[in-house]
Amino acid sequence: MSIKAEVVNDSIFNIQIGERFDFSLVTEFRNVYEDLDPRVQQVDIDLSATQYMDSSALGMLLNMQKVLADRQLTYRILNTRPQIARILQISRFNKKFEIQ
Amino acid sequence: MVKILIVDDEEINRIMLREILSEAGYCNFIEAHNGQQAIETARQHKPDIVLLDVIMPGMSGIEAAPQIKASSPGCYMPILFITSLDDEQSLVKCLASGGDDFISKPFEKIILHAKVKAHERTRQLSLEIQEKNQSLTYFQLEVERNHRIVEHIFDNAIGRNPVTTDYFDFYTQPEAQFNGDLFLCEQSPSGGVYLFIGDFTGHGLASAIGAIPVAQLFTSMTLKGLAVGEMAARLNRLLVNLLPADMFCVASVLEIHANGKNFTLWSGGLPRLAVKTSEQEIRLLIDPQHMPLGILEEHEFDNQTQYFETEWGDTLLLYTDGLMESQHKELGMLGEAGVEKWFTRNSQVNAQLLVDKAELYRAGAAAEDDITIVLYKSRPFQFELPEPLAEPIPFNLSFHLTAQHIKDAQVIDQVVAIVNSIPGLAAIRSELFTVITELTNNAIEHGILGLSSDTKAEPEGFMEYYEQRRDRIAQLEKGDIWITVQRQMPDNVLEISMQDSGPGFDTAALKHCEDETFGRGFVLIRELCQSLHISDSGKQIKVIMPIEPVLDDADIPN
Repeated sequence: MSIKAEVVNDSIFNIQIGERFDFSLVTEFRNVYEDLDPRVQQVDIDLSATQYMDSSALGMLLNMQKVLADRQLTYRILNTRPQIARILQISRFNKKFEIQ
Repeated sequence: MVKILIVDDEEINRIMLREILSEAGYCNFIEAHNGQQAIETARQHKPDIVLLDVIMPGMSGIEAAPQIKASSPGCYMPILFITSLDDEQSLVKCLASGGDDFISKPFEKIILHAKVKAHERTRQLSLEIQEKNQSLTYFQLEVERNHRIVEHIFDNAIGRNPVTTDYFDFYTQPEAQFNGDLFLCEQSPSGGVYLFIGDFTGHGLASAIGAIPVAQLFTSMTLKGLAVGEMAARLNRLLVNLLPADMFCVASVLEIHANGKNFTLWSGGLPRLAVKTSEQEIRLLIDPQHMPLGILEEHEFDNQTQYFETEWGDTLLLYTDGLMESQHKELGMLGEAGVEKWFTRNSQVNAQLLVDKAELYRAGAAAEDDITIVLYKSRPFQFELPEPLAEPIPFNLSFHLTAQHIKDAQVIDQVVAIVNSIPGLAAIRSELFTVITELTNNAIEHGILGLSSDTKAEPEGFMEYYEQRRDRIAQLEKGDIWITVQRQMPDNVLEISMQDSGPGFDTAALKHCEDETFGRGFVLIRELCQSLHISDSGKQIKVIMPIEPVLDDADIPN
């Protein structure tokens, strides 16, 4: 339940994170985008349920971009709670992710 | 034993009646000589059957009969007139005065036996009914008394704060008619509002009883400022344990941000939520995502929430299915679409208007289910923050973690849970989580395990780093971390200090790597805290954190 992922409309890869986005999810998060469907053009990370986040979560997000660097993908972070939005803002994540 | 009152002025008649009845097995007799005596004896001895002579000196049987009857209120007590009269008028008078039958003189044994037996049976039935009536009355009084007690408890348990409810227009059924619907509404520590709307299966007191523990748990969770998904999971756990298998609670938990525009929803089975714009257009229809509360076991439960936004002036509508299940003779069930039509066609729509329309639609028929309706016009909440009851007192909380604890994957969760349980820290619980997690992970990874962030620079390195972390934790034999959390007054700040038993590191290296995929933790700590102080070659880190929430709207990127 901590991470759910599915491909929507053939081209959007939607990742939903649970209440905590911290280093305990490192392996699970890495496995989620293993063998990513080649039709995917956009990755959406849905943080609507996430209330707690630490810097390893930021690392996981950036690492995903590095691993998938040879794919032309756009990345969006959706539905952030105010506290989480603040952490993303502090870390200047708006430079690499479209934050909504 | 059947008690027979024999009333006759002639002793010979009394003796004969006793004799005859004794042969039929009766043995409990009382006697009177005239009407007046008969009334007194009946009051005193409560006979089952009265044999009453018609003509006696003093008060006659016909005069005495009504008062003798009155000595057995609510229960049939047969009066058999003893008479040698045979004109119709006299017999009618006897019956009109309260008599039930006649015994003719001279007495015929077989007829007398049969008549007394027959009236005894009726008397017996009547006594049984009286007894049942008494216990029914007793139970009814008992139920009424219990209702009053429960009503009192309900009033106290489900008290709604008028400051909060002022922002909502809602309809709930009177609490005196216990119902399975529940509407709760509380302020959140960050200045917004939490709502709970629930509908327990069934009706009446049995379905309402679940409301009390739900209300209590909900209120305590709102004080802590828990996330909506976590609230739903805890309510579910409570109800799974509490309710019988055939009972559950259809419910939504909604958090509205202080700005009145951002919403987080966990919805389990209520009709879809509708939002309309100030131009009366539907902006959003949000279907429920989950099964009701109280069905799924903890490991099956899904705490996924939905997030949505509105504009100020939008109206949000939530209701239980009693409204949409309103039945019309020809048009059938109202349905969600019907409710939404009423909702958008009336710019001045309110909860009472929807209730009235539903009643018209049902053409006066009673609603088949309880109805709860909540409307909210999107606007910022402006709650006066409650004055703290007392000046917060300073405290000093310290942890000493050894290798055994550091190996436990849940150790940071435990530390955070302990710190977050302190009253007054709920408003900054997310920030506290981040800061404590960063500091503790820093102490474990760099201080104790001696991991180097350089590893994380390559894509494969990131995973390698965490594999190394796992391996080294598994082999760890020695290591200590000391954490202290102090509330300092009057500044009202938290000082968190973290010390580890590792060899320390080159703190200068920290400075030039902050832009990369590591050192990010320190950036977060710097921003979330007032100050960050590293000493003792990086073995000790001390931060000061404000306890007031530092968050406002301007911080939220769009």
